[in-house]
Amino acid sequence: MPDATVLVIEDELQIRHVVRLALEREGLPVVEAESCAGGLAEAGRSRPGLVILDLGLPDGDGARFIDAFRAWSSAPVLVLSARSTEHDKIGVLDAGADDYLTKPFAVGELQARVRALLRRGRGRLDEEAVVRFGDVEVDFSLREVRRGGGPVKLTPIEFRLLGLLVGQAGKVMTHRQLLRLVWGPDASDNSHYLRIYVGHLRHKLEADPARPRHFLTETGVGYRFRL
Amino acid sequence: MRLPNLMFLMPALRSPDFPTVLRRYGLAVGVCGLTAALIFPFQPALDLPNTVMLFLLAVVLVAVLAGRGAAVLASVLGVALFDFLFVPPRFSLEVSHARHLLTFVVMLVVSLVVGQLTAGLRAQATEAARRERLARALYDLARELAGAMSVAQVADAVERFLLVRGDARGRLVLPADQGPALPCAGDGELDVPDEVLREVMADGHPSRLPRRGGRCCDLLPLAGATRNRGVLLVLRRGDDAAMAPLLEGLAALVVTAVERLHFVEVAQAAQLEAVSERLRSTLLSALSHDVRTPLTALYGLADSMLTGPRPLPEEARVNALAIRDQAFRLNGMVGNLLDMARLRSGRVELRREWQPAEEVVGASLKLLESVLAGRVLRVEGLGEQPLLEIDAVLMERVFCNLLENAAKYSPAESPIVLSAHDAGEAVEFRVVSGGTGFPPDRLEQVFALFERGQAEVPIAGMGLGLAICRTIVEAHGGRIRAFNPAQGGGCVVFTLPKGTPPPFELEAAGEVPTHA
Repeated sequence: MPDATVLVIEDELQIRHVVRLALEREGLPVVEAESCAGGLAEAGRSRPGLVILDLGLPDGDGARFIDAFRAWSSAPVLVLSARSTEHDKIGVLDAGADDYLTKPFAVGELQARVRALLRRGRGRLDEEAVVRFGDVEVDFSLREVRRGGGPVKLTPIEFRLLGLLVGQAGKVMTHRQLLRLVWGPDASDNSHYLRIYVGHLRHKLEADPARPRHFLTETGVGYRFRL
Repeated sequence: MRLPNLMFLMPALRSPDFPTVLRRYGLAVGVCGLTAALIFPFQPALDLPNTVMLFLLAVVLVAVLAGRGAAVLASVLGVALFDFLFVPPRFSLEVSHARHLLTFVVMLVVSLVVGQLTAGLRAQATEAARRERLARALYDLARELAGAMSVAQVADAVERFLLVRGDARGRLVLPADQGPALPCAGDGELDVPDEVLREVMADGHPSRLPRRGGRCCDLLPLAGATRNRGVLLVLRRGDDAAMAPLLEGLAALVVTAVERLHFVEVAQAAQLEAVSERLRSTLLSALSHDVRTPLTALYGLADSMLTGPRPLPEEARVNALAIRDQAFRLNGMVGNLLDMARLRSGRVELRREWQPAEEVVGASLKLLESVLAGRVLRVEGLGEQPLLEIDAVLMERVFCNLLENAAKYSPAESPIVLSAHDAGEAVEFRVVSGGTGFPPDRLEQVFALFERGQAEVPIAGMGLGLAICRTIVEAHGGRIRAFNPAQGGGCVVFTLPKGTPPPFELEAAGEVPTHA
């Protein structure tokens, strides 16, 4: 399978250069654009397998690009955000972005995120019957969870939450998305339920619940599952 | 014949306007006397009936000039003078003929009736004129209140309106947050104890205090749409029944004006606030973007050199590493500065949600992975704490700043301990690190922003991080302090109030059904 083309939309030349270097070292072909409009045009031409999008573009906010791009492509979108307000991040994630990286970022971190997003693009994890992370083994076909060889008992909600997070591994899920998928559309007032159940999962499946390695918190935004 | 009973004069004598009353009755006496004096020389030429007519004319005159009471006095006095001076036997009140008695009675009755009718007409005319003045005054007042640009103008208009009544004075008392209490025409009698004012303000019922000379001081609450806006004090005659509905109307007009001014002020303040808030946040995010963009490039380029496929020569590697780390440090400082600017730029807007502190600590530790690499860190007691209503983003900054300081200013081999304890109404967090701890004489100052003499503190650059921590913790209703434990090292301890967590129902016990 040929490697997916990555479209980098970023108005700062030097940052674009850093991103291009990081991707080319991963062996990924890169195309570039400097604006929302240019990005959309380039996306139409090159049909990228992944988009890296800066949020501070001069000709509009990223949410507009994502809206237009999502109309015809389901390729993952990684957002680069220089802003510290979580509100903007939630906005683009709810609009359909898959992940975000706050500037400044380490090259290694960018490469890891890109790998995770591309892997997810090729085949969803929840289609695999058995997923392993740490000393935990989740068998989705048998609906069984084992840790260190012994069975772990999960409640139905915990299992559903685990399935969602594992299925979207690498992707940031906002609080609102998770609440809607697990508790239904009216649950947005009960965000403490989500936090309590994620806490349960950590206590049952993480080696050190205070320092989770798999069920990561994106503070103010949501959660990300990392294999 | 006995002297007429003058008891009807008594209320007038008791009234506060005694001199006016005296003047009126004096006028009655004077007019009657003058009439008698004028007729007396022509007595032989004038018949008694003509004389009677002239006395009746005098009564009408008195009734027009001095009103009912004086007309009564003039009637009685006229009859007496007529009898004494003109009816034989003259210079005696004795009556010789029965027909004279009839004349007196008729004369008295006619005088009284004509006098009362005339006085009534006059009173009605006066009342009509007064009503017209009042209507005009009310109209002027409404117009002035509608155009008033300040509370002082409102008070002024009220004062002028009450002066039209001639005998009333007013004073507007407003709480301090709606401008100063402005006296219209205050004096001792318009001073009311504060607790009485507060009571009227609180329960919204009008009240009345007695004053000297049959007067009273009305306390009229200014009942606005949402709350009472103040009290209108009116000093007036106590027996003026027509005044009460008028004052109610006056209070309603005044409260409309005061409320209008209040809301104009609120709207202006809100607009100003919104404009400056927008400017501030535009400035901050522009600054944030413009500063972070070159930093991102700097950091990314240095990191690219370090992670390239070919290893760098040792010297270049060390330099690239230094560039990357310095860029990262600079980024942290810029972040702290922008955070502080945001926190200090007015109200700190907290996005509080109920969540376990353990989660926020976990996220902070993840962010500090590289800073804490190789350090021994113990986390204790966090899993047992209740949910706290906190702004996760801001509390993450608190934990990050405290842990980063702990790592930076303690020996690399010493452990760092982050612990949480139940402290009754609050949860207490402690970050303990080894080393020399805080300067003992600056335990309070380390939290101050840009404390003078900071350069002398051996651990420079600490001020901003801890100042941010204090601002955030205090915005959450908690307290933060630093001390040096007896066993050595330093400790920052802060509390977060527990509050009342929202209800949480665990799902019905049941395990995941298996297909096995």
